[in-house]
Amino acid sequence: MSAGILLIGIVAGAYLAAHVASEWLARRHLVVSGAEYLLLGALLGPEVSGLIQASDVDRFAPFLTLAFGWVGALVGAQFHLSDLWRLPFAPFAVALAEAVLAGAITTAAMGTLFVWGLGLDPAEAWIPAVALGAIAVSSAPAGIAVVARKLRTRGPVLRQLHVATAVDALLAIVVFGLLLAAAPPAFAAGDRMLSGAELSLVSLGVGLVGGALFHLFLGRERQIDRLFIALAGALILVSGAAAYLRVSPLLPALLVGFVLVNTSPSRSEIRQVLGRVERPLYFTLLIFAGAAWRSGGPGWLAVSAVFVTVRVLAKVGGAALAARALGALPRLGRGWGWGLVGHGGLAVALVLNYHMYDPSPLSNSVFTAALLSVLATDFISARVVGAVVETASPPRRTPPAPAGDERP
Amino acid sequence: MRRVVTLALLFGGTRLILPLGSQGQGSQALLSFGFLILAAYTVGEMAIAVGAPKIVGYMVAGVLFGPHVLGPVSLEGVTRLAPVGDLAVALIAFLAGAELQWAEIRARGLVFLKIMTAELGLSFLVVTAMVLALHGLIPAVSALPLAEVAVFATLFASVAIVHSPAVTLALLSETGARGPVARTTLGIVLLADVAVVLLFSAALALARTLTPPPGTDSGPSLALVLWEVGGALAIGGLLGLAVASYLRWVGKELMLFAVLMAFFGLEVARLAHVELLLTLLVAGFVAENASRHGDALRHAMERSAAPIFVVFFALAGARIDLGRVAPLLPLVIPIALARAGAIWAGVRLGTRWAGVDGAERDFVWLGLVPQAGVAIGLAAILANVYPVRGADLAGLLLALIAVNQVPGPILSRRALVASGEAAAESPEAREATLARSRDS
Repeated sequence: MSAGILLIGIVAGAYLAAHVASEWLARRHLVVSGAEYLLLGALLGPEVSGLIQASDVDRFAPFLTLAFGWVGALVGAQFHLSDLWRLPFAPFAVALAEAVLAGAITTAAMGTLFVWGLGLDPAEAWIPAVALGAIAVSSAPAGIAVVARKLRTRGPVLRQLHVATAVDALLAIVVFGLLLAAAPPAFAAGDRMLSGAELSLVSLGVGLVGGALFHLFLGRERQIDRLFIALAGALILVSGAAAYLRVSPLLPALLVGFVLVNTSPSRSEIRQVLGRVERPLYFTLLIFAGAAWRSGGPGWLAVSAVFVTVRVLAKVGGAALAARALGALPRLGRGWGWGLVGHGGLAVALVLNYHMYDPSPLSNSVFTAALLSVLATDFISARVVGAVVETASPPRRTPPAPAGDERP
Repeated sequence: MRRVVTLALLFGGTRLILPLGSQGQGSQALLSFGFLILAAYTVGEMAIAVGAPKIVGYMVAGVLFGPHVLGPVSLEGVTRLAPVGDLAVALIAFLAGAELQWAEIRARGLVFLKIMTAELGLSFLVVTAMVLALHGLIPAVSALPLAEVAVFATLFASVAIVHSPAVTLALLSETGARGPVARTTLGIVLLADVAVVLLFSAALALARTLTPPPGTDSGPSLALVLWEVGGALAIGGLLGLAVASYLRWVGKELMLFAVLMAFFGLEVARLAHVELLLTLLVAGFVAENASRHGDALRHAMERSAAPIFVVFFALAGARIDLGRVAPLLPLVIPIALARAGAIWAGVRLGTRWAGVDGAERDFVWLGLVPQAGVAIGLAAILANVYPVRGADLAGLLLALIAVNQVPGPILSRRALVASGEAAAESPEAREATLARSRDS
């Protein structure tokens, strides 16, 4: 069968099925997920049915690169500084501490497993360990949005969870982006080999200089269609430049999103434009991540089991420790970190990006571990968030959030 | 001015990056594609400022930054981006079909048919005569007997008379014109698209009989031609009904749906060997007219049309090789002028035949001058069937298309402005003027 038709069939079928099912499930049973697309991709990929071949995945690599950039820009566009200054500092401090602790605990655990369990050289082991640490930090915001709509609450725990998912995403992308730049895989030699430090600067430079240039380029443009063309061009250019220089497109695009939303008078239009194609990109990303999955890899079962377990413990434990250390325990309760265990689209983007850059066997194990974590937590994330919010504080009813607030 | 300076900086940045990276995973194509979009957008805005249509700016940017002039977009990049261009063609064809209303066809179909017959017939005769007259100057056919020259002249003319649905639609989208000149131009362009496919297929079948092509690729048989057209009608109809059902029962995420549907139509047409444009034109027409919700899809697609036009016309420009076009200009310009004259005379004749007067008689011909994607596709088929002579003629056709590509949209826009159906200055141009005054 034609790969193109197959792809359309997959996306259309999956979308329609999930659209009908997920709306109903989210509304009635607090189940919200994108993991079904991941599963579908794996079932159709070369590892299971072979309906999508490895070459098909390769053929769509530029599209995936753009999707990474788009995800990064969406995260960056959440951080409008003058809005953030008006908010209390405490939730940000707690969120940052939670993210750092979760990342550090997971990195340490995975590093230990790679060195002691799989016998890897520490010089080889630190890169996948840090990558998994960064992936572990990210949390899915979709469940939180669904709960906010369903329970109509705006309590302290829900506010904290909103802040934490944004800070988690920021930290995960920054660490991951710098990791891929500073420790480029051996195969990434171009015409002229750049050092890790140079590539880190390039990664930041492409984002900051690109953001400044695109700010000048967009000017006072407010008309959505024209803004869409300019912004799409900008993100395609930045993602392409980053991939061409063998750095992750996520970090430069995050910086572009951040710069634009903080300097442009059209920030709400920019967010609107970015949100316009988020869902199609997200679905395709999940399907291709599933299709790109390969079984095996050194100690994949142990790596997956340890990663899923350690991540949940690190998120819950890190969140509790952060709240205790910063005096927020009475406000949030000890279990508020359970609201962050959902692993969603950003984790998939990060691990797929890692997998595309490093095709070594160990990368398979990293990939499998991250995908299993998404599968294990995404379906239940909204229910867990609901339970956390109900337990921590009796809900205060407020008007419902506008539809479309939900970001996968 | 600000955008030009920024674009120059981006151009410099892109040139700096190019030696540092390495190929792989299509990243260079993505980089150059992003740059091409921004460049086309900027030059398109500049085109408005000088009173030209934006699509002229998109094409100029494609030429300027394409592989044959300044070159941040490489030839390989253009080749890798071909599927994006195909998708844009499919979306444009669907949108063009959706613009046609059944009520309008019933009321004015005969008028369109009469004008189109006169205009297309006269253009075909005039271009054939021009090629016959100039054949001594055309290396591909200069040494052939006159009968064979006539065969190739017929083939050449059947491609040279093609119009451009993409340009017409882009201009209607840009200007918002919906009056009789705009509607009649669109109706004729779409009908002519079907007629030209039939005419070209017939000319090719005739040429295959009289001048058999070398090798095994003997060109399409009559059955194949019938299938190309009939199959396109059938498949397009089914696709349109499927779209109408989706609109009725689901009706959500229309933009995503439109892209998927165009991609699907593209793949099906390719696999079934049916005419792509016709398939999607019919699909758009059926979807719009068989469903009460067709408007919603059309509006969703119109909202997303601007990026599609940028991509389509910038890539069309990037494919123009000025180095190859320039030496052919002395041959091509007389043919282009003769074609334009024939279109003018044909429309005058056709409007008289149809009993139409006024603005349509005076201005519709201007909208029929542009050429773009369909003609390029037919020229490629010609080159494929006749690898030596056909390829040379295809080169000449591409030069003719290139010559018609730039003044064509300007003339089309002029028709809409002169007939009073579009403002001399578009809302966007007024906004651009205001923005410039604010900036200064």
